[in-house]
Amino acid sequence: MEPIVELRGLSKTFGSGAEQVAALQDVSVQVEAGEIFGIIGLSGAGKSTLVRCINLLERPDAGKVLFHGEDLMAMPTRRLRQVRRKISMIFQSFNLLEQRTALDNICFPLELEGVPRAKAKTRARELLEIVGLPDKAGAYPVQLSGGQKQRIAIARALASNPEVLLCDEATSALDPQTTNSILNLLQTISRERKITVILITHQMSVIEQICNRVAILDSGVVAEIGEVERVFSNPQSAAGRRLVSPEVPLPLSAWEGPVARIAFNGNASEEPIIAEVAMEKGIKLSILGADTRNVDGKAFGTMLVSLPEDPARRQDVLDYLNHFDGVTAEVIQ
Amino acid sequence: MFDLFSDPVKVANQMQIIYSEYGFAIWETLYSLALEAAFAYLIGLPLGVLLVTGEKGGVKPLPKPIMTVMNVVINLLRSVPFLILMIICLPLSKVIVGTKVGTIATIPPMVIAAFPLVARMVEGSLREVDQGVVEAAQSMGASPWQIVTKVMLPEALPSLISGCTITVATILGYGAMAGIIGGGGLGQIAINYGYYNFKFLVMWIAVIGLVVLVQIFQSLGTWLSVKCDKRLRNRK
Repeated sequence: MEPIVELRGLSKTFGSGAEQVAALQDVSVQVEAGEIFGIIGLSGAGKSTLVRCINLLERPDAGKVLFHGEDLMAMPTRRLRQVRRKISMIFQSFNLLEQRTALDNICFPLELEGVPRAKAKTRARELLEIVGLPDKAGAYPVQLSGGQKQRIAIARALASNPEVLLCDEATSALDPQTTNSILNLLQTISRERKITVILITHQMSVIEQICNRVAILDSGVVAEIGEVERVFSNPQSAAGRRLVSPEVPLPLSAWEGPVARIAFNGNASEEPIIAEVAMEKGIKLSILGADTRNVDGKAFGTMLVSLPEDPARRQDVLDYLNHFDGVTAEVIQ
Repeated sequence: MFDLFSDPVKVANQMQIIYSEYGFAIWETLYSLALEAAFAYLIGLPLGVLLVTGEKGGVKPLPKPIMTVMNVVINLLRSVPFLILMIICLPLSKVIVGTKVGTIATIPPMVIAAFPLVARMVEGSLREVDQGVVEAAQSMGASPWQIVTKVMLPEALPSLISGCTITVATILGYGAMAGIIGGGGLGQIAINYGYYNFKFLVMWIAVIGLVVLVQIFQSLGTWLSVKCDKRLRNRK
């Protein structure tokens, strides 16, 4: 099947001379119709530039942006504007028109297309229902909470019946609970209206919650791309591993002896492995530092533990730890 | 200049002048103000819009030489003192309105002095509009014209009104100098009767009239600007 959005060899450089920053370097991504595609990376990885290239808010220096196989870069301006109506976008800062009511904000894209006022209003009211804010038609953005503003922004984005919805850190300004509800809304919309969602974020939890596939962006380069579960459970790239199992700094002077890093990559379900070591091997390990997360009952992250001084016993512990599924242990000190 | 009431005859004489001329002077002040402001905005508003939309990275970038010319012309007109500008522009008045004297003759120089101010005011107001909102409109396929008329101007409206208030007060101030070339209004009364003929009571009352007008326009402008700003609504 032909991808709905395809980015081919995108490059973008900002600044010039010594201050030159390569935001994107030969980035190629294919997004299938109907999927929820995530792009994750640390800040400065170029993900915002990447998503803005999809509707040409940012023009790449080189490469192609294809929508249904048609190159946006080669389009005349007028045609590009029409295509942009099929590629909606929501933003971290919502970007609602502050001097318009919620209803008139949703009418805005319809107004641009020249839809008659009465018809636009009817459609806007339907969309308010869909995003769950039917009673906020007359409210101005200043009277709405962050989550409500994003819902209005989503309704506005849906008004032009888009095929693709771009989300530029759409939940980053929201609290966890609101983030959840917005993500659920995006998922529902994608499923029910067959809309392809491309979202960028720096939060793994966002990707885990709703994305089918993910691309990891690292310093302007796609480090890894694939099914979310596959990428997050078994990252192949350094950037992927860094994301899934963040480096845990060794506390200074906490422990003079040998130290092991235990990486959990999602398969070690709920086994209490430290306790197992204590009971099976009679060796007590102390935890020196940890950054682990539980996702759907699966452990992800890194833990630093002390090891016995005796080399044989140390090896014994390491072997024992490594026999668990999804656990990798290595000596680092 | 401050001993206004010591001579009853002079006072009566001056009150007579005020009584017979004040009303008409206010009318002249107001109608020339309205014409001047209208023409200043007719030229200044589009120019201010172009200063923002035409720059590099704007919604409709213009060639750099055009931008440079616009900026230089505006800065030039802004830096020539109004009195001098008015004198330079008088031949232009002859061409445009057919006379070099009288209230009508002062309107072209006033417009030429005021439109660069308007352009800068409008420019400043439009720059306050959140770039993200402009981008959102672009992402929806809005044309540059739609962005200007449906996003930038409406979003900047409260600020544009504030700017208009400042412009009006400035034009009122210029009016006094226009009295020198025979422009009518309160300014002319103040200068001709008051300053040139030592009728200081007339001068002061004319000045008070101007002060009151500025106060009224300022209050009106502020009220309107606040009233139409939907960002200032309290949360329900």
